[in-house]
Parts: sequence; structure tokens; C-alpha cells
Amino acid sequence: MNALLAIEDYHLAIPTFDGPAQVLNGIDLALDAGETLGIVGESGCGKTVLARTILGIGPGRAACTGGRILFEGRDVAAFSERDWRGIRGVKISMIFQDPMTYLNPLFTIGRQLGDAIAAHARAQGAPRPGRAERRTRAAELLAQVALREPQRALDSYPHQLSGGMRQRVLIALALSGKPRLLIADEPTTALDVTVQAQVLRLLRDLVDRLRLTVVMISHDVGAIAALTERIAVMYAGNVVEEGPTTRVLARPLHPYTRGLLAALPAIDGEIRRLAGVPGTIPSLIDPPTGCRFHPRCSRATAICAAERPAMRRADPAHSVACHHADLS
Amino acid sequence: MPTSPDVTPLHPSPLLHAIGLVKVFHASGGREVRAVDGVGFSIGTGEVLGIVGESGSGKSTIARMVLRLIEPSAGRIMFAGQDITALGDEAMRRLRGDMQIVFQNPHSALNGRRTIGEAIAEPLRVQTIARGAALHARVDRLLDLVSLPRAFRHRYPHELSGGQKQRVCIARALALEPRFLVLDEPTSALDVSVQAQILDVLGELRRELSLTYLFISHNLAVVRTLCDRVLVMSQGRVVEEGPVAAVFANPSQAYTRTLLDSVPRLPRI
Repeated sequence: MNALLAIEDYHLAIPTFDGPAQVLNGIDLALDAGETLGIVGESGCGKTVLARTILGIGPGRAACTGGRILFEGRDVAAFSERDWRGIRGVKISMIFQDPMTYLNPLFTIGRQLGDAIAAHARAQGAPRPGRAERRTRAAELLAQVALREPQRALDSYPHQLSGGMRQRVLIALALSGKPRLLIADEPTTALDVTVQAQVLRLLRDLVDRLRLTVVMISHDVGAIAALTERIAVMYAGNVVEEGPTTRVLARPLHPYTRGLLAALPAIDGEIRRLAGVPGTIPSLIDPPTGCRFHPRCSRATAICAAERPAMRRADPAHSVACHHADLS
Repeated sequence: MPTSPDVTPLHPSPLLHAIGLVKVFHASGGREVRAVDGVGFSIGTGEVLGIVGESGSGKSTIARMVLRLIEPSAGRIMFAGQDITALGDEAMRRLRGDMQIVFQNPHSALNGRRTIGEAIAEPLRVQTIARGAALHARVDRLLDLVSLPRAFRHRYPHELSGGQKQRVCIARALALEPRFLVLDEPTSALDVSVQAQILDVLGELRRELSLTYLFISHNLAVVRTLCDRVLVMSQGRVVEEGPVAAVFANPSQAYTRTLLDSVPRLPRI
């Protein structure tokens, strides 16, 4: 069976004054319907660019320099603007980090949901639903995201809702077209910790109930672990490790994954001194040769600077790109 | 929920003692917002007190009141045995050498047109403490303290990463050799691997220079890593206070428990 989403050896470069920045450097990822994949990494690793590129809203001047992205078996690079209109918000939806920025402050929540409902009807060639029908459907969508008093929320403007409520509205908007793929880019990062927990619980519940296929992007390993079954760790434009979330976190194989986990302060257990990852993220205009992590890696040897490590399998589901990873 | 305006000092002679702090902001329509509503605490010399809470809990307002960057509506602040609540500008300016602050966003805390060396030297110039070769040497020593190469003095902020900029802000805060630092979400804008480095630097500086910190954060795990005692705040009030180990292992208040339960756990390694 074809994967719903297949990213094959994808390279992306963004021109800058100092030359092209190689922000994606041969990404391989595949996602079947019903799967949940988390992409974790720090600033500048390329996770957000990757997510936006899947949806055809990547940086304007960026150029694909190799590989392809297939959605339902079709190369997204070949989609026309007209094709995209039938895909964005319909087959692929996205929820963003800052729930305020993506709602129009001048219109009520009911109006914005109603517009989305009408747009989806138009995309399917159905007649425009009437006012009452739009309102009923909008209320259903808000009930689906467990927003209290949905009728009242429909008549509210975005500024009258809390951050958590706004994020629920955005999730409702994203689900309004019954998408085949939901991309969640840092969906809980801007929220307070108690609200974050509620939104994660809601997403988890929606994934189970609606059998959503999800790609979640986050710098927060904990948030990813709460939602996704598989995890891909990105560093400087590469996926360096990928596998079942529980297995990758319990037995990280890449030195960067290990460093990332060792840097996380814990909420329970022994209070230990945190080990940061020494050094800083490399320039993507002039990235390190071989393994892009080697200048910061304590296990690096000559081969790491000379040769880019291929993805190798530790077991059928768990793979790692490191010359020195212990696969036994 | 304990609402007593004062907390008995745990230290016979605390370095900082806040008593019944209140801050009322006047919102539009004559509405009053009690951002901080009767908060008291004390910090012993060499101690790190964490204040943890969600947005709007009043934690950053407290950070600013303690340094009198904003004026309390009521209450008193004692620093090293002296009531500083009503000190005049000149006396306060002299005192600022002893109490400094590091802000959340290192990208906006540095002037993009000044070199790192100028940024770190600024407090020394303002307080006319050093100039010429002596100033140069002090800046070198401050860069050493935060583990930045001395050559960075000639660089501009845009040439540095977020973590490096935050080190510069810490160096600048340490320039006047203060005894007391307010750290207002100093790692919230940073990646976790960089956050770990900065927390490590702060821990080391505290030991080396016998510093006392007031550490403001929304991140419970970070507070647990660096602080000795913690104050949990909600809606302008103190919900719970105690040693970090006790509060995190066995919170006595429902709100603290909710906060702790909200942090996503990783599968055990």
C-alpha cells in the first residue's frame, strides 16, 4: 500500500546573502493513514520549514534541490494553485503555534467557522449551506473540541477567548474539512502548562476518536511523547534518528538524541546536574562535512567528518544515522 | 489557600525580605487589577528562591517590584536589613550595584549597535567604577566568568546565538559584583540544550561568587533543578511555599498538584 505521505531524499535550499542555506538535507520520512509522527528538534533544525513545505507554504524563495514529497502518491511540486485549494484545509490541515495570529480579530468565531464550512462545501461542489446550517455545524465543531458553551463562543470575538479556547477554535477550524492529514506545528508551545495538558489530552482524544493522521512538530519532547506513536529527531536539516516514541526515548541511539534527553530537567526522580550539548548549532550555509553533528559529538572520529552516515536499522522500526551507534 | 500577607522569615537575617507586597494596576474603565495581592517571602544569603506560576500569576511583577523597577502599591521590601521601599533615586542607583536583573529575551535586552564589550562595560561606566585598562581587564574577567571567548568583546549581538547573548546579559548583570540577582525567565527563550548550559553557568556562578538568586519561571522542572525553595503563585497570591524537594514530591495544595500533573512525563529511561 502507498503511504499517505512520503518524503523521499528531500533537499531544500534557501538563498541568503552569504549563499544558499541547506535547510533540509535529504529527508526520508513516510506516514501511513492513521499514524501519528512527532518531529522533534531545536531551533533551526528545519522542522517547521519541512512542515510548511509539505503544505506548499514553505519559504517563498526556497528551492527544492533534490528528492520529492508525495501526498496520496502525487508529487506536491506538481500541484497547481487550483490543486492546492482542494488540498489545504481540506485534505491537509495545519494548526499553528500562536492561536491569536491565525484568527481574524474583526470577525466572530461563528463567522470564521461558518466561512470555513462554506468553503469546504464549495470545494466539494455542494450547495452553499444556509446561515442556520452553518451555525449548527459550527457549534458541532466546537462541541467536538470540548469548548464549553459553544453557542456563546460562536458570538465571541477572538480577544474575548482565552489562549486555550482560541487553540481549541483553531483545532475545530482545522478539522472542519475532515482532513486526511493534520499537521500540528508547536500546538501547545504558547500555552500555560495546565492549558497545554488540556489541549494535548484533547488532541489525543481526537486522534483516537477520529483516527486522525498527525504530524506534530515540536521542540518539546514531552509534548510529542504525549501524542505521537513515532518520533523523528531532526538536527541541522537531517533526520538523525527515527522510531517508536517509547523505544527512542527509552533507548536513544544517536548521540544528539541522548544529549537532548540529558539536557531536559526532570519534574520527578533524582535532581541531577543537567548536561547540555556543548557548542552551538552549525551554520547551514557552510555546514560541517560528513555528519553535521560531528563538531559537537564526543564520539566523533575521522570517518564522521569525512562521510555522511546513512540511516541504519537497529530493528525493523528504529533507525539511526550515526557511524558509531551501537545497533546490537 | 494561605492568604496571610506575610511569611515568617526562615532565615535569622535574610538578604531580601518582602512583606505584604501589593500591586494594583488600573485597567480601562476604572477597573482595578490586583496583579500581586499580599505576597511575602524572604531569601537567605546564598539561597535560590524560585517563584513559579502561570501567566498572570504576578511572578514577573514581583521580580520588578523587588528591584523597584515598578513601585509597589503597598508593602515593604527589605534588602540587607535596610528598608528600600522609600529610598530616593540616588540611593537606589547606588544600591543597584548590589541587585541586578537578567531578563527573559536576550535578543531584545542588548543594543544591536553596541559591541558585546560595550554592553558589558556599560554598568561600570554608568557607576564610574572603572575606565581604560582597568575596564578592559574587568570585561575580560566577566567574559571568562560566563565562559565566552574574550574575542567576543568586539562582536555585535547579531553575530551571537541566543545562548551566547544570554551569557552576555549575565556577564553585564555581574559587572558591578552584585550580591543578589533577579533572574526573570532567563532560559525560556532558549533551546533545551542551551538552557542546560545556562542553568549550569548560573549554578556555578552562584557557588563561586556566593550569589543569591530570585528565580522566576513558568517551568517547574527548571525551578526544581536550580532552586532551594519555591513559591507557587496563582492569581497574585502565594498558593504554596517550601523546600523544592518537599513541594515537588508532596505538594500540599491542589493547585500545585494540578501544575505538576500537567507537565508531560517521558517514559522512564
